[in-house]
Amino acid sequence: MLQITNLHAEVDGKPILKGLDLAIGAGEVHAIMGPNGAGKSTLAYTLGGRPGYEVTEGSVTFTTPFVPSEVEGRAASDAQRVSTSLDTNGVGEALQTTGGEVAVDLLALAPHERAAAGLFLGFQYPVEIPGVSNVQFLREALNAQRAVRGEPPLSGGDFLKRARAQADALGLAPDMLKRPVNVGFSGGEKKRNEMVQMGIIDPRLAILDETDSGLDIDALRHVGHGINSIMRRPDKAVLLITHYQRLLDYVKPDFVHVLAGGRIVRSGGPELALELEREGYVGVAA
Amino acid sequence: MASLALPSSREEAWRWSDLSALPALAEARPSGAIPAPDVLWIGDGPRLLFVDGVYDPSRSNPGPVEIGPADARAARHPLGRLAGTRGWRLRIGAEHMPSGTIEIVHLGSGGASHLAAEIEIGEDAQASIVESFAGAGWANRATGITLARSGRLMLMRRILGAAGGFTSLADTAEIGTGASLIATTLAAGAGDSRIDAHLTLAGEEAFAEAGGALLARGQQRHDAALVLRHAEPHGQSRQVWRAVADDQATASVAARVEVARDAQKTDAEQSLRGVLLQRTATINAKPELEIFADDVKCAHGCAVGELDRGALFYLNSRGIPPAPARALLTRAFVADALARIGEEAVREVFVADADNWLSNSPFVSSEVETRPSTSLGTNGRD
Repeated sequence: MLQITNLHAEVDGKPILKGLDLAIGAGEVHAIMGPNGAGKSTLAYTLGGRPGYEVTEGSVTFTTPFVPSEVEGRAASDAQRVSTSLDTNGVGEALQTTGGEVAVDLLALAPHERAAAGLFLGFQYPVEIPGVSNVQFLREALNAQRAVRGEPPLSGGDFLKRARAQADALGLAPDMLKRPVNVGFSGGEKKRNEMVQMGIIDPRLAILDETDSGLDIDALRHVGHGINSIMRRPDKAVLLITHYQRLLDYVKPDFVHVLAGGRIVRSGGPELALELEREGYVGVAA
Repeated sequence: MASLALPSSREEAWRWSDLSALPALAEARPSGAIPAPDVLWIGDGPRLLFVDGVYDPSRSNPGPVEIGPADARAARHPLGRLAGTRGWRLRIGAEHMPSGTIEIVHLGSGGASHLAAEIEIGEDAQASIVESFAGAGWANRATGITLARSGRLMLMRRILGAAGGFTSLADTAEIGTGASLIATTLAAGAGDSRIDAHLTLAGEEAFAEAGGALLARGQQRHDAALVLRHAEPHGQSRQVWRAVADDQATASVAARVEVARDAQKTDAEQSLRGVLLQRTATINAKPELEIFADDVKCAHGCAVGELDRGALFYLNSRGIPPAPARALLTRAFVADALARIGEEAVREVFVADADNWLSNSPFVSSEVETRPSTSLGTNGRD
């Protein structure tokens, strides 16, 4: 689903990612762990397309059924239509709309096009937007994505139903949907709100940057449950970026990677996270 | 109008205004083509239509408003004095309250129109007025306001004039003991504007709020100049202005609070904020405080900047393309200034006007009705 090859990126002229390789397949949950300053957030922002995060080398290919029509012309030159075999295991609903998948050059897409293509970026520090209600923001976001994909907009009623169901599932009080985006939310509420957004938008690939930071145990359980119920499907994938093992108690990764010095220095199964917890980054990454 | 004497931009109070279009507008003749007024009405209350400054009784239902001589108390204002002594007058007797918001629509077809207005709100009386300005030309208005003890007035203006036009408003208000004036102005058209207000909190515990949103793009200029004078103790005033400027446009707010020696326990607050949508645009914000009392609270905040990049990326990352994301953030920025409009239906209309401007389709005379200009004024210019 996501193929990152030899990715180099810099911020303010300072190289942060220095040849990162990573392949994420459909149905997989990957965790990237690493010490402060290793480049974890830079990886998330670079994949999301944040201005100021400059890719100097390498490629990122995203295989998705949601290819915006205006983007199709810009699909990677070696793009190939991949026939989907997912219908057979019963989760092909989203795929049936296009009937196939396309590998696109993610780096050639603007941030909103990446979202429409099915990428969701969960922020470590969700932004407060005074004056814009959660509902208004999310409906606009969802319908903008649907418009790019050639789908009809969701009516106000249908949208509210969907939003309330997600808020319920994540233990976010329904009246928080009416409040301005993240304004006056506690750290935990902001992270839950990120998960509510993810549930409503229903992406193909979620990159979650330190979603567990600032969460108490209850919130952590809610968020973990949210990630599992929204994203643990054979046609989706998750990249969890985290500092600590504790979120991985709730969301079991299939693969764990250690990011240090701008590269993946070690990869393994879930046991690697436990080893990191036990021995620290210095021991494992050395 | 041979002797049109206009203030020079060398005068401090007029340094950000560009009045250079006014002499030609004063000479020009109305074309008679006006936008259809229907879309401008909001509710079912009393309504008055003025076309090129002339009252149109056939399309009005004036309620308590009288047409005739009016003292706008603008003799010393360089533009306000041109408004003359004729126009409309609203006198609300003690403890009265007209049913519904009074709506006044001013349409222009070119040239200059001058109109005076006088509003007197009696003790414990209350009124709510919406004035809408649309069409071409120069609409020059002066309004004198008196609020008796505990009188209340909501005055809401939307300036939607066409490109090349000019709207100038000069308000002078005297706010009595415990009385309250809330004035909100939205400039969301394609023309230029100058908004002057001189509000005196003349009784104890008087309340005044003067605020609004100025939206400018292209070569547009909006300029608001306000003076809130606290003359008596325990007064409260609020000024919340939001300015948005794009392209080479200029939006300016000069807001002064004066606190007289006797006006102890004054509580005054100013919030002047601007967003530059491009770095070629200009926003001027000048908060001023002149305080002669020693036990007062005067807060002022003033900030001009660009849209928050972090917030823009957050919206983009959720799939909202750059242009709507900017519009959403700008709408949120402006919302503070329009939030004070108490009546929901009116507030929604003002928000929609701002939205239309943000989506680059300000109210223009898309549906023009043409009437021979000779039919105007037979009844109106009394």
